[in-house]
Amino acid sequence: MKETPRLIIVLTAIAIISGLVLAFTYNVTIEKIQQNAELKKQQAIAEVLPGLESYELQQKGDLKYYQGYDANGLPIGVAVEANGGGFQGEIKMMIGFNTAEKKINSIMVLSHTETPGLGARITEDGFKSNYNNKPFGDYTVVKRPVNNDLEVEAIAGATISSAAVTTIVENTLKDLQTAFGGEL
Amino acid sequence: MSHGRDFVNGLWNENPVFRLVLGMCPTLAVTNAGINGLAMGLATSFVLIFSEIIISLAKKIIPSKVRIPSYIIVIATFVTIADYVLKAFFPDIAEVLGLFIPLIVVNCLILGRSEAFASKQPVSNSIMDAFGMGLGFTWALTFLGIIREVIGMGTFFGLSIPFFTTWWKPWTIMVLPAGAFLTLGILLALMNHLTREK
Repeated sequence: MKETPRLIIVLTAIAIISGLVLAFTYNVTIEKIQQNAELKKQQAIAEVLPGLESYELQQKGDLKYYQGYDANGLPIGVAVEANGGGFQGEIKMMIGFNTAEKKINSIMVLSHTETPGLGARITEDGFKSNYNNKPFGDYTVVKRPVNNDLEVEAIAGATISSAAVTTIVENTLKDLQTAFGGEL
Repeated sequence: MSHGRDFVNGLWNENPVFRLVLGMCPTLAVTNAGINGLAMGLATSFVLIFSEIIISLAKKIIPSKVRIPSYIIVIATFVTIADYVLKAFFPDIAEVLGLFIPLIVVNCLILGRSEAFASKQPVSNSIMDAFGMGLGFTWALTFLGIIREVIGMGTFFGLSIPFFTTWWKPWTIMVLPAGAFLTLGILLALMNHLTREK
């Protein structure tokens, strides 16, 4: 065989075999991968909407949100998936709103790339509890214990991460209020 | 060379991290905890073992002019398999290792061993070499990860250590990128010192 065709044939054959093997792997694993993502989302929604029994994806204006219902089928609040810039990369969160009482239920961090040991502590309850049952409004990040409902106590040594989370919560709240018009 | 020698070679004499100083990008980046080092080492070993087997089997078929693209396709295929399998069955670990799994493709350890060893040696020797190098890489990464985790977070594989975690004030810098350079530098120096005395 001449050299050039041989090079082309061998490389093409390798690429085809590789493609077949990958197509097979993809088919075997894709279902499980999607299940994992779905499960993670469900857990996050249940986490920020206590008493959740079922939820459905709804849309108002530009905002997509999960409307949660309790065991009796009554609405208990909405969960919104939000993201924004952190100290090093994107922070993704699920935020639960109690629309009836105009309060934030709680937040959950889905993924982040903050500094381990410092900014990464935004996932810990000590920081997240800042937002539990917070009335709607403009929040201030403070470096001391909070004095009122609208203050958020920053993590020591991670003020930027703390402020980033607060900004994401505020922006999401504004989006929600815009989407719901004068209702909230 | 005997099979036994090919295997032991990667564990110590030509340890990829401490002797060949190959694959530094994952070595420095993911070893901020013991479990991450272990998972990265095992994923790399998986790719290394299968790539060396295939390349050693196909060494007569692959013309030398297209050997590098051929090796890269073989390596990339196994990396993608590892990526999908981790995402499907070990989602937590896949999330931590994130981008570093696809980056195994360009880990010079794998291409280096394929080119320097598997493309010239019989399959059985290549398997022993891949296992030795893979295990050598894995123990080195796990060791680095454990040191950084214990000093930087005061935990061992995510578990608190009795009588240690309670009073140890974690050195956060050890789990940051700078800690990787410090740990690796000191270990390399130690390793060189020990071998020189012989």
